[in-house]
Amino acid sequence: MTVPKGPAIAASRLSKRFGPVEAVRDLTLEVPRGVTFGLLGPNGAGKTTLLRMLLGLARPSGGSAEVLGNTIPPRSVLPRIGYMPQELAVYPDLTVEENLALFGRLVGLTEARIAARTREVLELVDLGARRGELVSTLSGGMKRRTSLAAALLHDPDLLLLDEPTVGVDPELRATFWTYFRDLTAAGKTVLITTHYMDEASRCDLVAMLHRGSLLARDTPAAVKTSTNTANLEDAFLALVRRQGEA
Amino acid sequence: MNPRRALAVARKSLSQFRHDRRTLGFIVVMPLFMVVVFGFTFGGSVSHVRTLVVNDDSGSVASRILGNITGDTLDLVPATDLAAAREEVRLGRAWAILHFPANFTANVPLRTATVEVILDGTAPVIVGAVLGELRGAIEATLAGSGAPLTVQRDYVYGSEDTRSIDAFAPGVVGLAVLMVTTLISVIILVREKGGGLLERLFATPLRPSEFVLGHALALGTLAIFQSLVVLAAAILIFQVEIVGNLALAFAFLLLFAAGNQGLGIMMSAAARNELQAIQFIPVILFPSLLLTGVFFPLEAIPTAFRPFSYAVPLTYAADALKGIVLRGWGLGELGLDLVVLLLYDALMLFGATVLVRRQA
Repeated sequence: MTVPKGPAIAASRLSKRFGPVEAVRDLTLEVPRGVTFGLLGPNGAGKTTLLRMLLGLARPSGGSAEVLGNTIPPRSVLPRIGYMPQELAVYPDLTVEENLALFGRLVGLTEARIAARTREVLELVDLGARRGELVSTLSGGMKRRTSLAAALLHDPDLLLLDEPTVGVDPELRATFWTYFRDLTAAGKTVLITTHYMDEASRCDLVAMLHRGSLLARDTPAAVKTSTNTANLEDAFLALVRRQGEA
Repeated sequence: MNPRRALAVARKSLSQFRHDRRTLGFIVVMPLFMVVVFGFTFGGSVSHVRTLVVNDDSGSVASRILGNITGDTLDLVPATDLAAAREEVRLGRAWAILHFPANFTANVPLRTATVEVILDGTAPVIVGAVLGELRGAIEATLAGSGAPLTVQRDYVYGSEDTRSIDAFAPGVVGLAVLMVTTLISVIILVREKGGGLLERLFATPLRPSEFVLGHALALGTLAIFQSLVVLAAAILIFQVEIVGNLALAFAFLLLFAAGNQGLGIMMSAAARNELQAIQFIPVILFPSLLLTGVFFPLEAIPTAFRPFSYAVPLTYAADALKGIVLRGWGLGELGLDLVVLLLYDALMLFGATVLVRRQA
């Protein structure tokens, strides 16, 4: 599969202020196509705000960004983006398949394609047997899996997943990571935010955010080497200390 | 504007209602309850009003008038002593006294005959009933005696059999549609906002205008379903007579429902949770109940308050529905109502489209 030229995401001096709080500060970041990219940082680091700006859900206070070659807000490429928000953004009073059908129709899939893809993605998230049940009757983990299935339904070129593995058991988490790998092998880009540093080691590239600023962007191994640490959590703490000293 | 996306939103909302039987039940039962309660309380006329009669007339006219007071509105109770009768009223044991003086019949040809009516005026409805019955009986008595004045009734619309419930049933349908479409719209939006759903929807190519149109379609469908049930109940339970074109009435209800759901979306911008959303109930209910001519004609509203009546959209929806159902009016007679409701829709749908995006 040929990967199109240019990065999947390119942000230049992007910032977002909420009153006196600067949620994202002067952020310049590039995410190449065809990789699994981890956006790491504790709660309040600016990860979700960055995703919201990339989707056109929040207007930047400064700077600019391009997503799949389109300046944000990226309206024309939204059907090529899959988004799984941190909140449980599926309708509890609809069945699993009704939720998927809604999002499928909104991105312009035909009814036949929706039916076919629903089967595929529900098999992946292991919800095939629960497809006709109301989401409100499912466990927390199953609800998250429904949300992931909705993001994957239209086979998007770019997946923006905000904490996708919270509440998912280790076995299924491993299945997800294998699937993310398959997607990137097919030229898709997967951007995952997480505060589980160990999980981020599975990414091709990571970027570490702290209080809206970028601390580092490199491969997990390179980040550990540059900070002389054994794991990404220690690397993050070392970078925060270094930033404080500077 | 992509109609398929708007339809997807409409389908989503209707599926939600389909799964939520309790809300669906509320949508149907609430207006039915309103029709039944208002039908039985306002719909019937006053009956068995204890009225004392002190007849001192030496002639026959008073007796003939009393003979013409028929039906069960007044319970006429003969009394001999006026002072004792007054005491009965004072003690709350009777509502009125009809006193015919000794020379009543003799004074009729001289046009100086006077019936004295002594009333407990604390219940205007009863006062009206007593005076109405008396006037009717006097008219009926004098009409047959070659009197110089007779009143001939000729109804352009309705008839002497038209009851209060016939008059307000169409307005109650409008009121029920208002309550349901506005409140459900506020609650849906607050729920979607809270659960991150609105944000999720707008992370797809869905446009705010498509979202608003989709919701308008879903709530319009619901409003039609609700109106069908309420009108069926009004016809079957209360034998309400429908003179006009029901399809036109439903077209007006759809127009009204579309504006209401826009209003609901706009209101939801000011509500952070469902508890705050239900605080809008009195804000919508009271002006609509009291100022819009649903139960009382606009002429019964003090002049100072009338501008408020004309500012409430239900005034026009209720006027149109009454015009269609009771008078058989068509678009020719309903021009003003149509224009105002179209303006209402345009304003509300535009406002909703602007505000819904900001809430994501």
